[in-house]
Amino acid sequence: MFPMNAEILLYIILGLPLSTFLFFGISWLLGFSLSERWIGRIIKSLYGIMFLAFVGILFLVFKAPDHGFKVIIGEWFKVGSYEYPLAFQLDKLTLPFAGLTIVLSGIVGCFSITYLHRDPGFLRFFLLLVLFSFGALLVFTASSLDLLIGGWELVGITSVLLISFFQYRPEPVQNALRVFATYRVADLFILVSVFLAHQWFGAADWSHIQAINAADFQHGDHSMAVSIVAILLVFAASGKSAQGPFCGWLARAMEGPTPSSAIFYGAISVHAGPYLLLRVEPLIRQSTAAVWLLFFIGSTTALISTMIQRSSTDAKTSLAYASQTQLGIIFVEIALGWQTVALVHVVGHATVRAMQFLRSPSMLSDYHRVHSGAGGELDATGAHYDVIIPERLRRALYCFTLHRGYHDAIYERVLFRPLRSMIRVLKMMEGKASDKS
Amino acid sequence: MFSYLHFPYLSLGLAILLIAAVASLPKFHGRSPRRLALYGLILSIIAFSLAFVQMTGQPGVVLLDPILPWLKADALDGLHLVLYPLVAAVAICLAPRRDITFHALSGILLLVLGTEVIYASANLVLMNIGWWITCLPFVLGMFGDSPESKYTRIALVSSAVMLMCATFFFQSTDISNMSQISHWCLIFLILTVIIRKGLFPLHRWTLQAFDTGPLLPKSLLFNSHLGALLVARAESASLPEYAHQALNWLSILALVTALVTSLRGFIEKKPRRMLALVCTSQASFILAGLLAPNAVGVMGGMLHWIVVMLASTGLIAIVRILEVRVVDVADPSSHLGLAVRAPRLATFFLLCGLALVGMPGTMGYCAEDLLFHGVQDHHPVIGISLLLATAFNAINLMRLYSVLFLGVLPKNVIEIPDALPRERWPLVLIMVLLIVGGIYPALPLALRSQAMQTFHLEPSHAPGH
Repeated sequence: MFPMNAEILLYIILGLPLSTFLFFGISWLLGFSLSERWIGRIIKSLYGIMFLAFVGILFLVFKAPDHGFKVIIGEWFKVGSYEYPLAFQLDKLTLPFAGLTIVLSGIVGCFSITYLHRDPGFLRFFLLLVLFSFGALLVFTASSLDLLIGGWELVGITSVLLISFFQYRPEPVQNALRVFATYRVADLFILVSVFLAHQWFGAADWSHIQAINAADFQHGDHSMAVSIVAILLVFAASGKSAQGPFCGWLARAMEGPTPSSAIFYGAISVHAGPYLLLRVEPLIRQSTAAVWLLFFIGSTTALISTMIQRSSTDAKTSLAYASQTQLGIIFVEIALGWQTVALVHVVGHATVRAMQFLRSPSMLSDYHRVHSGAGGELDATGAHYDVIIPERLRRALYCFTLHRGYHDAIYERVLFRPLRSMIRVLKMMEGKASDKS
Repeated sequence: MFSYLHFPYLSLGLAILLIAAVASLPKFHGRSPRRLALYGLILSIIAFSLAFVQMTGQPGVVLLDPILPWLKADALDGLHLVLYPLVAAVAICLAPRRDITFHALSGILLLVLGTEVIYASANLVLMNIGWWITCLPFVLGMFGDSPESKYTRIALVSSAVMLMCATFFFQSTDISNMSQISHWCLIFLILTVIIRKGLFPLHRWTLQAFDTGPLLPKSLLFNSHLGALLVARAESASLPEYAHQALNWLSILALVTALVTSLRGFIEKKPRRMLALVCTSQASFILAGLLAPNAVGVMGGMLHWIVVMLASTGLIAIVRILEVRVVDVADPSSHLGLAVRAPRLATFFLLCGLALVGMPGTMGYCAEDLLFHGVQDHHPVIGISLLLATAFNAINLMRLYSVLFLGVLPKNVIEIPDALPRERWPLVLIMVLLIVGGIYPALPLALRSQAMQTFHLEPSHAPGH
């Protein structure tokens, strides 16, 4: 049994952002225009109330005997034996992520009221921010992979729409499309994993997935099933956190307004990957291949990203690669089984990185202030690399980092070019008439 | 089990459509042909709705029309009898003034009449008549003549001929019992579905149909989903095992069509063609769902049918509205940035597009979730391939959205109106249906649950098992 209060508090933290989104959206579609002042007031009140509700949940969770409980509302829809569960889990893993989402979204919201003052997309930004908050909270409170996907996709879509926020410039539009394509491909892994989990394990809720033990299975096929689902989830998390094969999109996502970069790529969205991994860690631990894959993806991305970050010439790109590096390290920590370290790392990283992103427009001013505070120019760091690394290797590495690890070139040659050739063949098969286009 | 409707709602609804179609012709026209057509459609929607309401009150019973007993309202088609004229009414509301000629309106109403006759037909002869009526407006050139429309005509007429051949070999007119179906009949039925639905390799005609001329009649033609209806009717009849196996090939063809058209979209630049490819691809999912041997897949297919009807009508109408306002939309050389001038149209387009490819919170999400679970359960490869096709379609739709609405506004576009009130309300209706169906999916599922009961599913996959 769950305490009644927790259910109401959960409704508040999930229902308020959704109803605010619907209120903003419907009033705009019907032709009503809310003033900036009113939008600001609504946003401040929204996150204030959500924070109070979160404190209530925090209190209730720690008071609960096993420091967590499940809120089962029922099923969203049901056909035959298949049902889509509508259940939420509030435990020690949910709370840090949900807390970060509410607090940092609130801070970013308050910051943006001034930052985006008189911007034509003022309402659009807040519309997407509250939808993002709802999506992220759905991800962190869902008690099954099915429900997590709902929030996961909402986070992705809002992220893409905010990258193309400055829609009158061609670069944000192109980069948003590229990021959307990456997200869609990465989301395939989580979608396939959830369908396979239903088929092979019978359900996709956390308690079921965490209780799976490959050693219990009689046949090799079943331990293979565990490995396949675990590997798919590792790739899905990599997509959300810009790791491994998906590491190219984070720098492109910097085209969006600074507050959205802070909340999405510094604080919350990119940490949804580690959240998923921490949640399904017992399943991943069953598969040696998945653990090694996680370790490999995290370590290589961290290494490459830290090098690229050092040669980046603008603040936001540099921060994006620094984020990627830290996320890679978090992946390694999870692969090594250091769950608490990874969780603390996530909280610390999200907070500091969000602050850095929000301060990035004032970076020069901050730089001069720090230097004058220290009583003069501080020495540049990294001089020891000149001693350790031979010059030829340094040049090669510099070239490698300038091309961002040849990521785009590899994809172009290996994936896009053959794909385009194949599609042209398909077009030729349609005959002459279609060539008139 | 058969019973009779309390009132001849079906013959009344069809008669209203026929009268409206004739009254819309230039000889009889009044001042406002759009209003006349809308009144006709609304009255017919009311008549079909009353039949549907009576049908839902008597589950498992086929209700015959008391005047014309070869017309029936059953669980499978009852909802579509209401939904299709509703979609037609929305399309007419949204159609730009230049597309609303007397001939075009009359043609649209004939198309609706033919489709409704097919939905309501209790025997194959009537279905053939309806099939030919749907071809008439295109064969007679009521929507204008263009070189490419010959493909549309050929496809439509050949599908009608194939259906006639199937009827000839069926040696009976009762659709509800197909236990004695001959091989030839089956072959012609499958050919009818392939041609009418535009399945690979015969998908070219749908591209050609979308490419030129008024878009909205093509949208209505596309959204009648008569191929899917034929498959649903066949699956709900007592088919022998070999016929089920033969129909399963259609599932493979639907998958290939979904994949090929979604991939083809990547190198397409014209908005109309991109839309045609995305819609064809997404519509192929319906067949894959209907042919799944479990309740989850079938229900997914039926929900997806509704989603495709609503969302594609919204998308196609918005593209047509923009074409009329900005000449560059027909063949854009770069991004058009129209969101600055038409933010509401941009929002409607985005929401319809995302609903079509299964965004959470819309009916599309529930439909695709059920569909993929059902199909994956039956055949994992098909399930994964459908997921791939959805991902590609989503990318294509986002490309189209960014081409039309994002980027720098061309210098020649000074001032264009955003969604007019005439356009805003129908689009809001589509959005409300898609979102309410997504947030509270129990409602559309309840409306289709009776239809699902008519399918002959494997015992282990039957609903409630």
